[in-house]
Formats: sequence, C-alpha cells, structure tokens
Amino acid sequence: MSIQTFGQWLYTTPVAATIRETVWIIPTVQAVHILSIAVLVGSALVSNLRLAGVFAADEASPAIIRRYLPRMWSALGILLLTGLVLIVAEPGRTLNNAVFWTKMALVLIAFVLTLVFQKPLLQSPPAGNGSDKSAMTKPVAWLSLVLWTVVIFCGRFIAYT
Amino acid sequence: MSLQTVLQSIQNSGLSLWIRQNPAIFPIIESLHVVAITLVFGTIMIVDLRLLGFASHRRGANKLIAELLPFTWGAFILAVATGCLLFTANAPAYANNTQFRLKLLVILAAGINMAVFHVTTHRRIAAWDTVMPPPTAARVAGVTSLLLWVAVIYIGRWIGFTLDILF
Repeated sequence: MSIQTFGQWLYTTPVAATIRETVWIIPTVQAVHILSIAVLVGSALVSNLRLAGVFAADEASPAIIRRYLPRMWSALGILLLTGLVLIVAEPGRTLNNAVFWTKMALVLIAFVLTLVFQKPLLQSPPAGNGSDKSAMTKPVAWLSLVLWTVVIFCGRFIAYT
Repeated sequence: MSLQTVLQSIQNSGLSLWIRQNPAIFPIIESLHVVAITLVFGTIMIVDLRLLGFASHRRGANKLIAELLPFTWGAFILAVATGCLLFTANAPAYANNTQFRLKLLVILAAGINMAVFHVTTHRRIAAWDTVMPPPTAARVAGVTSLLLWVAVIYIGRWIGFTLDILF
C-alpha cells in the first residue's frame, strides 16, 4: 500500500470524518499545538542561549538544562499527539506534502541534537560546567534555535503547499 | 473620514496590494507572526509559572523577570509589526471579524493585568523575591496572565477559520 492510498483510506475512516465535521476540533487542536510549540521554544531559547554563553552565564548550564529539558519532552509528547490528530483528519494535506516531511526531518534532527548536547548535562554535577567541554556546544546551540525557527516556518507553509 | 473609508484606503494601498499579489509573502509574514507568538508566550510563561510558585532557573523572581521580559517585549513588537502587515493585506475583513476584535480586547486585558502587577505587587518584590510560594497577589497576576495569553492564541487561531476573505 502506497502512502497515497493509505492517506486516502485514512481520510474515509469514521474518526477522520468526525474530526473534520466537528467544527471546534481542528482549531482547538491547532491552538494546543501552537501553545506546545511555545512551551518548547521558550525552553529551547533559555537552554540554548545559556549553552551559547550569552544568557544567565552566572548560572551553571546543567542546572538550567535540568529545569527546562523535561518541559521540552512534555511539549514534544503533546505536539506529536496533536499533530497526529491533524494528520488523521486531513492526511492529504500532510502525508503527500514535501514540506511536512521536511518539518519532520528537522524536528528529528533538532531533538537528536538536544539528546546529544543537553541530556548528558543532567548527569554532570550541578555546580560543574559540562557544556564548555565540547567545542561544538556553542554552534549547535545556535543551530538548534535556527532549526526550531525553520520548523515553525515549515508548519505554517504546510497549509499553503 | 469614516472608519470604513480608512479601512478601504488601507486595502487599496500599495503595501496591501503587494502582499496580496505575491503568494509567498503572506505565509512568510504569518510564520514570523507564529515565531513571535511562541517567543512571547514561551518566555512570559516561565515568568507566570514562577509567579505561581514553580521554580525557574533563577532563585529570585526579580532577576528572572528582568532577564526574560526584554525577550518578551522584543517578540511582542515583532508580533505587532507582523500582525499589522497581515491586517493591511485585508483590513476590512479583519476589522469586521469578531474573533479579531475579541483578540485585541484580550491582549488589552493582558496588558492591563501586567501594568497593575507592575505598579502594585512588583513594587514590593524585594519582600517576596525568594519567598515560596509567592504572595497571593503575585499568583493571581501569574494565573491571569497565563489564561489571557492562552485565550489570545486560541482566539487568534480561530481568525483563520472565520475570516471572510482568504485569497
């Protein structure tokens, strides 16, 4: 079964029809999706600016990551869940859309970078400054912020492609 | 000059025409608007949660507020600027849209809530800077701000589903 026929089948399922036909569901799910992006962006901003060395430099990075990384994981969970509802309702809008798959690839890259560059800091002593050990940390912090911005652009452009 | 004439002349302006005639421009402005909104809500939420008693990366509330509010303000200015451009593209349609008007009112309410907090509870912040949980007045300001901004984003998303003109 190709992804196109899967999308066509998904579109005809009762659950997809219900989501589409209940007026408030899609706007509400999209609003929760945007709110979760905001939680993610706020946490990513503080964490990555700290790792880049331009924000709250007098606080240890591990202490900041410990505070905000769990919020990022919660936000990711809600984003995947609400995103799934939107895909089920209108599979053609996403599954056949190159912008959607670009967005998914960028989200994956951004979270792998978060796992590799932020998660290990949870194990370092609170007072230590594990971040400065890697020369890659600063550029990756800036790259992550750029990636999240591009992800938001892709998300908006899904509606136009 | 009536409001309708003003709206119509905005609609007839070169800027408005330019946005409508270049299909890529509107989504680009919208994307910047969403980036700005996520930065506004993402940063103010950290402050609001701290006002409610959830710890942040700073022990003191005062330092946290001083550190994050410039980001919130910068992002808010970007949100207003991009919002104005979106409005320019379809001025009469937005002006007549119930959700759009309601959104502006709720933003005003969020602004009043913040102003009241700054001239009252924030003035005495030295007394509760590191006190957990924060005083009731701070918690009320925090939860009010959170609810109002959630409402702004929810109502804002509805504009896309109720606006009369979508080109």
